[in-house]
Amino acid sequence: MIIKALRGFAPALVFGIGGLLLWELALFIIQPEGFVLPAPSAILIAFFDDFQEILTASKNTGFIVVTGLVGGVALGVAWALLVSRFRIANETLTPLAISLNAIPIIALAPIFNAWYGLLSPVSNQAIVVILVFFPIFINTTKGLTEVDATEIELMRSYAASSWQITKTVRIPNAMPFFFTALKIASSLAVIGAIVAEYFGGRQDALGPLIVQNAGLTRYTEAWAAVLAGSLMGILLYLVSGAFERFSMPWRTAAETAGA
Amino acid sequence: MRLGKNRRITRWLIVLALFALVAASCSSDDGGSEDLTPVKLQLQWFTQAQFAGYFAAVDQGFYEDVGLDVEILEGGVDIVPATVLDSGAADFAISWVPRGLVPREEGLNITNIAQVFQRSATLQVSFADLGIGGVGDLAGRTVGNWGFGNEFELLAGLRSAGLDPASDVELVQQQFDMLALISGDIDAAQAMIYNEYAQVLETVNPDTGELYQPSDLAIIDWNDVGTAMLQDAIWADADKLESDDAYRETAVKFVEASIRGWAFCRDEFDKCAEVVLAAGPTLGESHQRWQLNEINNLIWPSPQGAGTMDTALWDQTVTIATSEGILNAAPTDGAYVSDIVAEALANLTADGVDVTGSDWSPKTIELNEGGE
Repeated sequence: MIIKALRGFAPALVFGIGGLLLWELALFIIQPEGFVLPAPSAILIAFFDDFQEILTASKNTGFIVVTGLVGGVALGVAWALLVSRFRIANETLTPLAISLNAIPIIALAPIFNAWYGLLSPVSNQAIVVILVFFPIFINTTKGLTEVDATEIELMRSYAASSWQITKTVRIPNAMPFFFTALKIASSLAVIGAIVAEYFGGRQDALGPLIVQNAGLTRYTEAWAAVLAGSLMGILLYLVSGAFERFSMPWRTAAETAGA
Repeated sequence: MRLGKNRRITRWLIVLALFALVAASCSSDDGGSEDLTPVKLQLQWFTQAQFAGYFAAVDQGFYEDVGLDVEILEGGVDIVPATVLDSGAADFAISWVPRGLVPREEGLNITNIAQVFQRSATLQVSFADLGIGGVGDLAGRTVGNWGFGNEFELLAGLRSAGLDPASDVELVQQQFDMLALISGDIDAAQAMIYNEYAQVLETVNPDTGELYQPSDLAIIDWNDVGTAMLQDAIWADADKLESDDAYRETAVKFVEASIRGWAFCRDEFDKCAEVVLAAGPTLGESHQRWQLNEINNLIWPSPQGAGTMDTALWDQTVTIATSEGILNAAPTDGAYVSDIVAEALANLTADGVDVTGSDWSPKTIELNEGGE
């Protein structure tokens, strides 16, 4: 089974490691006069040199990411359930969601800092919630509403209540859509938290670490912090995937049967 | 033989062209007076009186007099003067010394050719009623700073008072305004005496209905604490200085005309303030006048001549940089050079320009709300 799993990862591993080797080799050969793109080896060394600092920063940023993600998901799912059930909700909440999504973070971040206070985590969590909310909302709504009509008719013929229909038909139908959105949202959450940190707040977080090191031309250290952010995003993606597999056992079975 | 009509026209055209060519080559003999060397200067921040000398030198034609056509490039939050200089996008750059030394250690070969500001202007500002009289009082407080290399004096100052920046104070990333201080989010905020400090004094105190007064504020001056680091200096490309004689000559002329500009701003305060305002700064007249006055206070008097390196303060800057871990080691030779500014000062003195400003004294400037 392990070999099977490894075989699944093998192409990705080869591609990834191959790419890194190519990067390292190219810099070694070309020796550009710049320093803007450091070699992967230099980045790794900086990552371990600054490990304590990066770890603390990742914890602080990670806290915002996870809490914001949870908040955004809760909000998105709740909104989607409302919209799929009540037509009035659809006509009022959907346009509102679209407009909220259109506001750029760069405008919102300083406003939230002013509202909630520079040092309060809420100002950054709010940014993450807004970013995460929209994909979750749109996708979950789609999943809840685009259900096979015959299934609904069947349930109606059983005199099922609205809630029973939702529970047995709509929600299971929506789950694949939801998890797709979750995977997208988890990387958005990391980006949102880091960018929100650019606008003020605590300095022991990934955002300031990246931007300040870049401002001092310490690009290797900046990339090391970027690496930490990427790892966080990948971790969240894998966790989302694990949740998916756990909550939809029927799909996993179908997938492996087909493969 | 009778030529065809076309061939005749072609012949005449050729003759005409040759005539024009000869005429053009003859007329270029007028001394090349329009042959100015184009120079780009990268500022460290947005247009404001902090860079008045350079704007004045452009406006008054000092650069043109030495044969330079200077274009001033405005700075900003994400613009790193050292990289702009090193990439060749600018010929000279204004940068604080630590912000020039760190990139230099990272491999950008730049050098300080004129130390324009003789003193540091960074303050830590708090409201007087919080009782933050000295560095030691910052313990347990929220202390704002801008990062990006502006925080080193603060960190060294904290350590000099026996405080650990990571645990004894709460360091906060401050925006480039004083709103967080005024709203109470930050106890002690970072401010330049010539800029953000004035921004507080231009704000109305809701309790009194009048502008905040200096007596409402308590300041910590890093010059007094002993952890001040050198700031605005003119930087040049060290490789080019060595290999390109024309560039070195341009550097001397540039420094010379720039110092002449700063002398103008010292002697003709009002005219200089107008030059700055004409350049389109964000903040208004009273703010720029305040700023110009404070900038003059950083440059003059310059007993050894404006732009000359104060070696004691250089050593202090380097010591702090290395002990704070900003630099891995003391900078190698050539981090600053004295010959270019010495030559420029000699030229200016020979021309009767006062380069020490020993008679200068600061004015009192009244601020208006919002800096207007």
